Amino acid sequence: MAQLSVSRLDAAPVRRRRSGNWRISPWLYLAPAIVTLVVWIYWPLVDALRLSFYQWNMLPSSPQTYVGLDNYVRIFSLPKFWQALRNTAVYVLGLLPLAVLIPLAIAIYTHDLPARSRNIYRAIIFVPMIIAPVVAAAVWRWLLDPGYGMVNAGITWLGFDPVKFLTDPKVAIWTVIVITGWKLIGFSTLILSAANANINPSLIEAARMDGASKWEIIRDVRLPLLSSSILFLVMMTILLGAQWSFTYINVLTGGGPLGATTNIYYLLWDFGFSSMSVGWGSASAVILFIGFGAVAFVLFHFIDRFSFHDN
Amino acid sequence: MNRKTFLAGALALLATGPALAQAIPASVDQPVTITFYNYNLGSAGVGKDATEKLIAEFMAANPNITVQGVPYSAGDGNARLQADLAANQPVDLVQLGFNSLDYARTNYAAKALEDLIPADELAAHFDGMSPNGLKLGVLDGKTFGLAYTFSTPILFFNADLFKAAGLNPDAPPQTWAEVKAAALAIKDKTGKPGFTAGIFGPSAADWLFQGVVRSNNGSVLSADRKTLTFAEPAAVEAVAMIKDLYEGGAYENIDINAAMENMAAGNLGMYLQTSAVQGVLVKGATGKFDLRAAPMPRFGDKPTRPNNSGSALVILSSDPVKQRAAWELMKFLTSKHGYTIITSEIGYLPLRTDIVNDPEYLGNWIKDHPLVQPNLEQLSRLEPWDSMPGPNYSQIVKLMMDGAEMAVFGGADVQAALSDAQANAQALMP
Amino acid sequence: MTTEAISRPLAAARPRLRRKTAEGVGINSAAGHLVMVLLSLFCLFPVYWMVVTSLRPANAIFETSLWPSSISLDNYAYALNAIPIVRMLINTFIVSIVVTVIQLFTGLLAAYAFARWRFRFDKLVYTAVALTWLVPFQVVMIPNYLLVAQMGLLDSVVALILPHFASALAILLLAQSMRGFPKEVLEAARMDGARSWRILWEVMTPNLRGTIASLAILIFISTWNEYFWPLLLSRTAENSVVQIGIQMFMTSEGNAWGPLMAASTMASLPILIIYIVLQRQVVQSFMKSGIR
Repeated sequence: MAQLSVSRLDAAPVRRRRSGNWRISPWLYLAPAIVTLVVWIYWPLVDALRLSFYQWNMLPSSPQTYVGLDNYVRIFSLPKFWQALRNTAVYVLGLLPLAVLIPLAIAIYTHDLPARSRNIYRAIIFVPMIIAPVVAAAVWRWLLDPGYGMVNAGITWLGFDPVKFLTDPKVAIWTVIVITGWKLIGFSTLILSAANANINPSLIEAARMDGASKWEIIRDVRLPLLSSSILFLVMMTILLGAQWSFTYINVLTGGGPLGATTNIYYLLWDFGFSSMSVGWGSASAVILFIGFGAVAFVLFHFIDRFSFHDN
Repeated sequence: MNRKTFLAGALALLATGPALAQAIPASVDQPVTITFYNYNLGSAGVGKDATEKLIAEFMAANPNITVQGVPYSAGDGNARLQADLAANQPVDLVQLGFNSLDYARTNYAAKALEDLIPADELAAHFDGMSPNGLKLGVLDGKTFGLAYTFSTPILFFNADLFKAAGLNPDAPPQTWAEVKAAALAIKDKTGKPGFTAGIFGPSAADWLFQGVVRSNNGSVLSADRKTLTFAEPAAVEAVAMIKDLYEGGAYENIDINAAMENMAAGNLGMYLQTSAVQGVLVKGATGKFDLRAAPMPRFGDKPTRPNNSGSALVILSSDPVKQRAAWELMKFLTSKHGYTIITSEIGYLPLRTDIVNDPEYLGNWIKDHPLVQPNLEQLSRLEPWDSMPGPNYSQIVKLMMDGAEMAVFGGADVQAALSDAQANAQALMP
Repeated sequence: MTTEAISRPLAAARPRLRRKTAEGVGINSAAGHLVMVLLSLFCLFPVYWMVVTSLRPANAIFETSLWPSSISLDNYAYALNAIPIVRMLINTFIVSIVVTVIQLFTGLLAAYAFARWRFRFDKLVYTAVALTWLVPFQVVMIPNYLLVAQMGLLDSVVALILPHFASALAILLLAQSMRGFPKEVLEAARMDGARSWRILWEVMTPNLRGTIASLAILIFISTWNEYFWPLLLSRTAENSVVQIGIQMFMTSEGNAWGPLMAASTMASLPILIIYIVLQRQVVQSFMKSGIR
């Protein structure tokens, strides 16, 4: 039966018993991917781990000075560090409705529509993904400008004061969240629509014949079967939410005003990667990797417990 | 090759600077290719066109030298530049932001002109350049960079809004107190924001901030370049003044990009920013409103001490033939003709003050573009943009600006915020 | 098959989920359509604004009317002149297509390995693959650049493609769908004597068309919109991608809004076409796989 699962390898694939668990075939299939990931991602990452204890400017002619834990201490004592962490949590919580809940609703709702309106709606929802992030940021900045932007023109027309979407510390982070979410709705809708369509219609039929209402069908049949995709998207939002908003923060607010929109990823980029001092950048990389890796680890277990399959 | 000149030059070199392994040849006799890292080439528009034109003219006049322009973005910490140096790519001549000058000296092996070029040739080329302008690229008594595309802070203002607010556009504000009064009048009578400045913002770094602080006779870095001084009384007073402008409603906190667009659209009363944005503002103002310019406001009677923004040309190459080729390109770009193009076509300041009134060069253009006058006038008071020392120079600047921003916009106590920031940043000094 | 047994464990876990979808779904068709229309407006308006602005004449760029007072192609002409945009579009297209095909290929191979076999270290490798997704690009950007420089491939289209030969997203999504593949069919194929390679390409892949099409769309778009790596790598405008070209209109001395919007519109059209073409595949495969 059709199913989607995020849990690691607990569904038992067919296999023929061979001596030991050692065979060459899977490794051959894995080889291209592994080589690529090792060369382009793991090797620099391991190098970053080593370099995070040094101070170096990357030039072969310059010495690498050992500084021990200095880089880490400096990063943790950045004035905005804890604010960035708090903001990261806000980003994640704010993105979840836009990246998971609304697409879920759209996927389920449009599934039952006639083909033409379904495809039109889905295509329109997908359109934001087509625009380059930097351009999207520039257009949004223009639309949200307190002086000449369309959004504030509408707001003042209704009689309110113009809202400083990007320079008011209380509002700015929500503005960035909405823009990031705006871009992502199409992505999640696509994934959830695919998963939704994979649900065996006979299950739906059976429930309907049992007399379940449309809402009950959704609640008791669809949602459980979509749970692994939903949880997949939730996990992705939690782990990558801070990264997704990077371009918008970079173009629109630079982490401001007064650190209201910075998150841990942007902060480490600002002080680490963008400065070309390898020690800071490598320490930032290690912190991000270990930090989010730990979160991922916890989430994996959480998902394993709640994930659900139709068998 | 003129033997005599070469010998004289070589002797002069040996006499002046530290002994060099090789003297650079007096001219380029064999074909050579040099790379020119330039950030104007990275954006479509007049900057790119003018730079390409200059390079083409140079190559036509110097058939032995091929110049490869390499665009790079100066924004992200000179990523491309540094990566190429790390990858052993040839990097010969660079258009480098002034704030990276010290870093370039210690890390990129930037060459001091006095070490490479015979003294008399150097003196001949420097003749006619503004003495203040020449000092901009000097570190520890040696010239590491020649100011190339640079500008000073200008107070642009909208004469129409001034009139609507009952102010006299022919007598623009000269001091910060006058700016405050004018801004409040504009906001009151016309509803438009009165004043904003390009002091804060991710792309602003600290160049305008330094100018404001220095104009109150404060500083951000001590003379021996070892101690940060932006939490000292004169600097604190300057920041407190900006804070007062903001809290009094005169200084509007507008995002740095939006500020320029608002000014160009005629929605802003006064805008203190680098004269490099003049082109955009003029374009927006033509046919819509009367755009004028004034020098940077003073603190009471103290004369302003602005610093420049922009870039210098720096030689990084270690190969003597390429060094000579790079120097020839540098001479061309910083010649009278070079600056004429840079000023009239891109919109920066000319380092050579003698071409300003010369009808063969900029004379007529200056007459048609009166907005440049305050810029030229400030050239006589220009001081160098202090580039922070050490490998953590950009983090130091960020910490300083974050502290200042907290003080001005965040309601924090000025002395406390600046002292905090200074302590944190001092830990990052070499 | 009881619906109650399915619903109970999940009911406790996600009350928030259900509440939100109750509002969003709208049993009442009119309310549902209203919400969808509002959402559509929200999604579409900025893009509409981008296209409309690109058609405005140069001196009326800041107009706020919903439709340009006069349609002008000036911005497009300027953009075409100022940057070699056609060449850039071609480069971007080549890079995106090649990366999509290669990533799908390596993804299918790797996902098959995970789905089909249990082998020593399989969990470890799977986790290692998944973790690469967490690594932000800036971390590996410079070392990758140095590697490419050593290979002598700077400023080449090949270098734009190389680091993207495999991606965690592709592998994870494909592994996920492969695990759901009916085992009976696989067994039957093996009984027939088919070797693993044939099973992958002739039995499994045709039935994963929906997932593959969706993944293709996502990979294509993410490669098309990639900015940092091409920025670092390309030294000449002719060898770079369209994102770099677009950025050239955004300078610290102000954005050239008209040409910027024109270039962005031109850069968005190819993706829109790809989406429309592949979407049909996605939809068709949904219809097919529903019938089991």
